[in-house]
Amino acid sequence: MDMLTLILVIFLGGAIVTWLGNKVNTVVGDLLFLAAIIIPAGMFFTGISAGTFTSLNVLGLSLTWGLSPLSYLFSLIVVGLGILAAIYAVPFMNGKDKKGAFYFNFILSIMSMLGILVSKDWISFFIFWEIMTWSSYLMVIINGKEVQKVGIKYFVFSAIGAYAMLMAMVILNSQLGSFMLADSFNNFQHLSSFNQILIPILLLVAFGVKSAMMPLHVWAPGAYGNAPMAYTSVFSGALSKMGIYGMVLVMVTMISQLPDGSMFRNVIAWLGGFTAAAATLWAITQDDGKKLLAWSSVGQMGYIIVGVAIGTPLAMLAALFLVVVHAMFKGSLFMVVGAIEKQTGTTDFKEVNGLIRKMPLTFISALISIIALAGIPPLAGFVSKWMLYEALIQNHNYILVILLFFASTAGFLYSYKFLHGYFLGQEEPEWDHVKEAPIGMVVPMLILALGTFVLGTWPQLLFKPIDAALQYAGYTSTNGSLWADSVLFSQWGDVVMLQPILYAIIAVFVFFAIFLFIKGKKGSTRYVSTKDISTSGEIPKEWENLTFKVNFMQPFERAIEPFLKRQIDKYYTAFGKGLEALFEFTRRIYTGNGQTYAIYAVIFLALLLLFKNNLFG
Amino acid sequence: MATFVLAFVVGMTYGGIVRKVTARVHNRVGPPFYQNFIDAFKLYSKTSAIHHGAMHYLGPAFLMVSSIVSLMIVPVLIPGGDSWYNTWFNNMNGGGDLVFLIYIMTFGPLGMAMGAGQTGNPNSSIGVTRGLSQMVGFEIPWVMALVALMLQYQTTSILDFINIQQQTGTWLMFSNPFAFIAAVLAMLGMFRYSPFDIVGAPSELASGPVSENGGKFLFTMMSSGSVFSFVKLTLYVDIFMGGAENLVILVIKTFALYMIPVLYGIVSPRYRTEQAVRFFWGWPTFIGLLAILYAVIF
Repeated sequence: MDMLTLILVIFLGGAIVTWLGNKVNTVVGDLLFLAAIIIPAGMFFTGISAGTFTSLNVLGLSLTWGLSPLSYLFSLIVVGLGILAAIYAVPFMNGKDKKGAFYFNFILSIMSMLGILVSKDWISFFIFWEIMTWSSYLMVIINGKEVQKVGIKYFVFSAIGAYAMLMAMVILNSQLGSFMLADSFNNFQHLSSFNQILIPILLLVAFGVKSAMMPLHVWAPGAYGNAPMAYTSVFSGALSKMGIYGMVLVMVTMISQLPDGSMFRNVIAWLGGFTAAAATLWAITQDDGKKLLAWSSVGQMGYIIVGVAIGTPLAMLAALFLVVVHAMFKGSLFMVVGAIEKQTGTTDFKEVNGLIRKMPLTFISALISIIALAGIPPLAGFVSKWMLYEALIQNHNYILVILLFFASTAGFLYSYKFLHGYFLGQEEPEWDHVKEAPIGMVVPMLILALGTFVLGTWPQLLFKPIDAALQYAGYTSTNGSLWADSVLFSQWGDVVMLQPILYAIIAVFVFFAIFLFIKGKKGSTRYVSTKDISTSGEIPKEWENLTFKVNFMQPFERAIEPFLKRQIDKYYTAFGKGLEALFEFTRRIYTGNGQTYAIYAVIFLALLLLFKNNLFG
Repeated sequence: MATFVLAFVVGMTYGGIVRKVTARVHNRVGPPFYQNFIDAFKLYSKTSAIHHGAMHYLGPAFLMVSSIVSLMIVPVLIPGGDSWYNTWFNNMNGGGDLVFLIYIMTFGPLGMAMGAGQTGNPNSSIGVTRGLSQMVGFEIPWVMALVALMLQYQTTSILDFINIQQQTGTWLMFSNPFAFIAAVLAMLGMFRYSPFDIVGAPSELASGPVSENGGKFLFTMMSSGSVFSFVKLTLYVDIFMGGAENLVILVIKTFALYMIPVLYGIVSPRYRTEQAVRFFWGWPTFIGLLAILYAVIF
């Protein structure tokens, strides 16, 4: 059995063994969990190279697995984030129940994501897609809270997507006679023109659901919030990127062969831009850290979808860069929320306060991740946003540029709300007991946060794999024309040299920090608590409430009030209620009265006799 | 380094002159025009008795980083001349472009917001949320004006804008008047004079984000504010008014431009935040759309 199959088998076996081991003893379960993730990951990084193929014959269907450069890029996120989230999950789940189920579903999710990336034929793609869906569904409802509202909604939307994909698969097989992905892409021209439009639409519905593109995004805030935070970092960081992987495949191969392909691209790009702007505005109104980050994830996916839809090399480069960077900072942010939830017991902004001095390392990872999210130089988020804007301007999508700039600027609002809500502001005595999160939770957070720092100054570390992936997908190499060793070029002859900028920023920052500190230390500046502030010359009493959390963004919410009144969720709920009314009406056939059923039989026989000539003639 | 000294001196002087002008309009005598220097020196020599933690120290440092890095990117004088000005004031031109500048300009206020947040003063937090909301407001017409210029001349580099104005001989102010009008309306929000000064409303919020900072902190913030004003004015002069060949012309042009928000602000009452945001999304955005249409058609 060769390497790929071995890795997937170890994952699968590891899941089952961990579940059993957890029943025996929790420590054994923890160790087995870590082994089940780290061993195959190590084998993956050392043993697999792009281009290996393996074939399996099951029940007369041949399943083919192999790693392409594009899959390699995405698998970096899946496996890397998987390892760090696994290390994070062990102290996170310490003392919680349902550990066995958590470990089982976690390992299965990682396995299925890896399986999706290495699938070369539609059958195994679909099998792994379904495993991914139900293992994440089980995670969402693992605590038994809000199963109906949140879990079922997620499952229904995923099922709609999966069945759309199944339909597309079956049509492709019936028309082209093969289940291989490469055959579908190469022989796309041989399909009828109706199928040429139908199949990309079906596939985009499937991938759009997973990547939470509007209007298919309504499951995302609830599902991301309900799952345990150790899993949500993988959920939002890696799982939603599977939809992006699918979209890249469809966009690059199928739609570029369509004569009306540009119309498709424009529609998807506008949907992506609208997602980015609208989700950002919704994130500003949220009062719970989990929901805020969930809406922010939907928004960032909008950016990526815009990049993928535009399709020029620079836009694809920006989108794929943002895929990796988003996995890093969103994974780190969800880990931060998990750490706060573990230490304080709640994630509501209105309740938690002033944790900056109590959880300083958590604050530092949150600060760096938020700066990367907002796209501020010198971190990695800026690199991807800069390239995306340049790509849009050069492609003459001016209004989309304005929309994305608007989304970025509004992103500063929820970034500040997140940081202020948990870490800044008044320190309440009820949180005095809070201590820093366990070291096993802090280290993965910091690694991810510092990773964005490294990628911001030396983006060529990531550009090389992305370039390989793009060349595999058919683009020419961008090395030397769009980037070269930490310098970004724009096609209009302007450059952004990232390293001198970073050194300048650090130099100025350190200079002024020392300037302020030194003068302070010499003059014996003493620390005072947050109650000792200037409020018109009086010192506030202990019982006075100075916490500003409720209606935090009220001025802005008032300004965008007409927009907030319209929710896509309401349309779905109205549609659902309409269906329920229809079912209620149809239910009346069953009256429970024997005489009614007798009348039904008589009417049926009468109709048969009346039309017997037409039916049996 | 010399650019920093220039920016500091000019910025502080403008601040002082503005205080004098405001006072005269209000029928008062007003402080002398070098008052800001006296204030800065006084604040520098004071020691802060208390502090609220490490982030409180780092907040003004973030603000200074943003101002200085923006200063390094914006070309102060038109390069290429051989007078002694250019050797002194040649900064990192060409190290960044407009999109980078827009983002680095927001780095400072965000860091400052962090520092203000740690003090726990609710006034600071309220001021910060208002400031950020207003920023979403004026960024839209500002970005629209910039995008219109970018696509009209197919470049994002500030140096290229200066060169284009040198070559064609007309200022961009007249080549794309809609962009200029939209940018000036956005500038009213950027400088935070009335009617958009609800961010630091003195009697309502105890000056908002600066409420807990005295002594060295306030000195850093004041000087960073003056440098930042100088940077924004120079940016506008470079893009719209043809850059400046020597210091005297630079001072004249920036001062003329500065008087627009100041004189309009002296006599205006204050907008509430949602009114300010809705205002920016109304007429200025419409003029920005006209600017983009103008750039596409011509």
